[in-house]
Amino acid sequence: MEVVRNAFDFSDFPKTDLLVVGCGLLFLLFFPLLPHSTFAMATMIQFLMFSLYGMGWNTIGGYGGQVDLGKAQYVGIGAYTTAVMLIRWDVPFWVSMPAGVMFSVTWSFIIGYPLFRLTGHYFAIATIATSLVLKDVFEVWDFVGAARGLEILATKYDAVDFTHLIFENDNYYYYILLAFFLLGILIINWFRHSRLGYQLRCIKDNELIAQSLGIDVHKSKVKTYALATAFVSVVGSFHACYIKNIEPEDTMSLDLSILIALMAMLGGAGSLWGPIIGAGILIPLKSYLKEWLGASAGLVGIDLILYALIIMVVSAVEPRGVWGLIEKIRARRT
Amino acid sequence: MDILISSLVAGLLIGSVFALVALGLTIIFGVMDIVNFAHGEFLMIGMYTGILTVQVTGLDPLFSLPVALAVGFALGLLCYVGFVKYLLRGPMVAQLLGTFGLMLFLRNLVLLIFGSEDRGIHTGILVGKSLDLGMGVIIPATKLAAAVLSVLSFVAVYVFIHKTKLGKALQATALNRQAARYMGIPAERMNALAWGIGGATVTAAGALLVNFWSASPYVGLLFTMIAFAIVALGGFGSIPGAFFAALVVGLITEIPGIWDFFTYTFDNDWMADVPMNSFKYTGVYLTYFIIMVVRPRGLFGWKL
Repeated sequence: MEVVRNAFDFSDFPKTDLLVVGCGLLFLLFFPLLPHSTFAMATMIQFLMFSLYGMGWNTIGGYGGQVDLGKAQYVGIGAYTTAVMLIRWDVPFWVSMPAGVMFSVTWSFIIGYPLFRLTGHYFAIATIATSLVLKDVFEVWDFVGAARGLEILATKYDAVDFTHLIFENDNYYYYILLAFFLLGILIINWFRHSRLGYQLRCIKDNELIAQSLGIDVHKSKVKTYALATAFVSVVGSFHACYIKNIEPEDTMSLDLSILIALMAMLGGAGSLWGPIIGAGILIPLKSYLKEWLGASAGLVGIDLILYALIIMVVSAVEPRGVWGLIEKIRARRT
Repeated sequence: MDILISSLVAGLLIGSVFALVALGLTIIFGVMDIVNFAHGEFLMIGMYTGILTVQVTGLDPLFSLPVALAVGFALGLLCYVGFVKYLLRGPMVAQLLGTFGLMLFLRNLVLLIFGSEDRGIHTGILVGKSLDLGMGVIIPATKLAAAVLSVLSFVAVYVFIHKTKLGKALQATALNRQAARYMGIPAERMNALAWGIGGATVTAAGALLVNFWSASPYVGLLFTMIAFAIVALGGFGSIPGAFFAALVVGLITEIPGIWDFFTYTFDNDWMADVPMNSFKYTGVYLTYFIIMVVRPRGLFGWKL
């Protein structure tokens, strides 16, 4: 009961915030009914996916202050579990997704246990290293298609297949992902109020104080890392069914890991809405810049140059992101 | 036997170049506790500098070294004064992502200007020549020259840091920033100097590599990771440590060759089946991970 009450308890936000969130939700609910291009739809789905990735990263990276730059390995594990099970044994999505989460969380315990002996830069680089090792393994492993990757043939399934999560129309994907998204917000909201959430914020502020208060720092970090992993893995499974073509280079690259961390940081790490704001700004920017400048004008790379400039300006000027800016303005008013 | 010795020699040669690659990273880390993700991108720019120098002036690739040093010093200084200085005020997250942004920026700038195809230099007095050590061990002259010049540059920087007044000021800043400031050392300028030297050395390494390593805008990340592994193994901030660790990492990248030797020697079937060549750099990442977990201060590290 307590858990449910915590999950729905948004009372610590001001009314204006909740109003904005309500409007945003209404827009998200009715977006497929509004006139839109297929490109806009794809962008919205990307936005929801990256919001979820960002929410997962935010638990360990934002609330816990442990900069994890290896989240892509769990996207890969989730995506590959679903794709392999679907292609080889025709396993439904709703079975393979929990299986993927199970594999990811097990792997996160295996590497998380030694990883969390490190802090700061050392931790961040070590997460990159583990991610790259796993990518190298997947690139030669024939069972999962090696460097060619795997392709799910959509023609083998019905146009609307809820058990395997294969649809011809993107609207179905959108609403299923939206359900995950809302559930994700509730879980993070629960996490904020939970014992673990408070412990983690204490660890972020000062690890020594946290220890002296009787918090098992290592255990809390490993537990939260597993929670973050579960989020990312679920979206990874979804990614496999949605994109239908997965390669180690797409699903496990360092760029993806950094993008995930960046979403949360741009929006404001350590706040509930941060990753959503970050994804809301970066994803449309990235895909439309690429469309306008990269594909149309033939300027390869200019979209990423602008994108990199944004990262540089944000990290130099306001490292707490958009949410930090909002809070600063509010503090000045009162 | 010849395969084994060739692999070991090749590992040591490439390791000496890696030492120059990692030198800048360890100096920057020692002086100001910041991890530079754009390190490999500096190397990539060094490669393109080498190519351009050769194409524009028509000189031998060996003479592009001074140009690369100058470009690298300017680039490092510019990055520090124009950008990294502002990152230092923020938390560690901002520093990590900020230098990552710098990496993306440099990579895509080069991509925009030069395109994504691989480039290399296939001319020059050393190309095609080689040194025969006997027992079937043949060293390409380009690799030997790169290794020798790298070691010379490394020693030059080492002497600069340990013998000159400026170098000693740099060391003092690394040891204790506050105390150094009390002694009248301008810490801010030392940071800039560290970035200048860091940029110059890694860019020079790029110019040396371009003779036998083709340049593309995406080559940087691999070298960033190699440099991280070397610095972790040698100890963050330790310069002699970086040299020995670089030789070790050079040997690790030659594991596929050593593996081949054992496969032939024992005539082992399952060993022949392992696609060792695909794991050429996996060993480097694993080394980093294991060293960090087992001995975070590295072999010679003093900074934690």
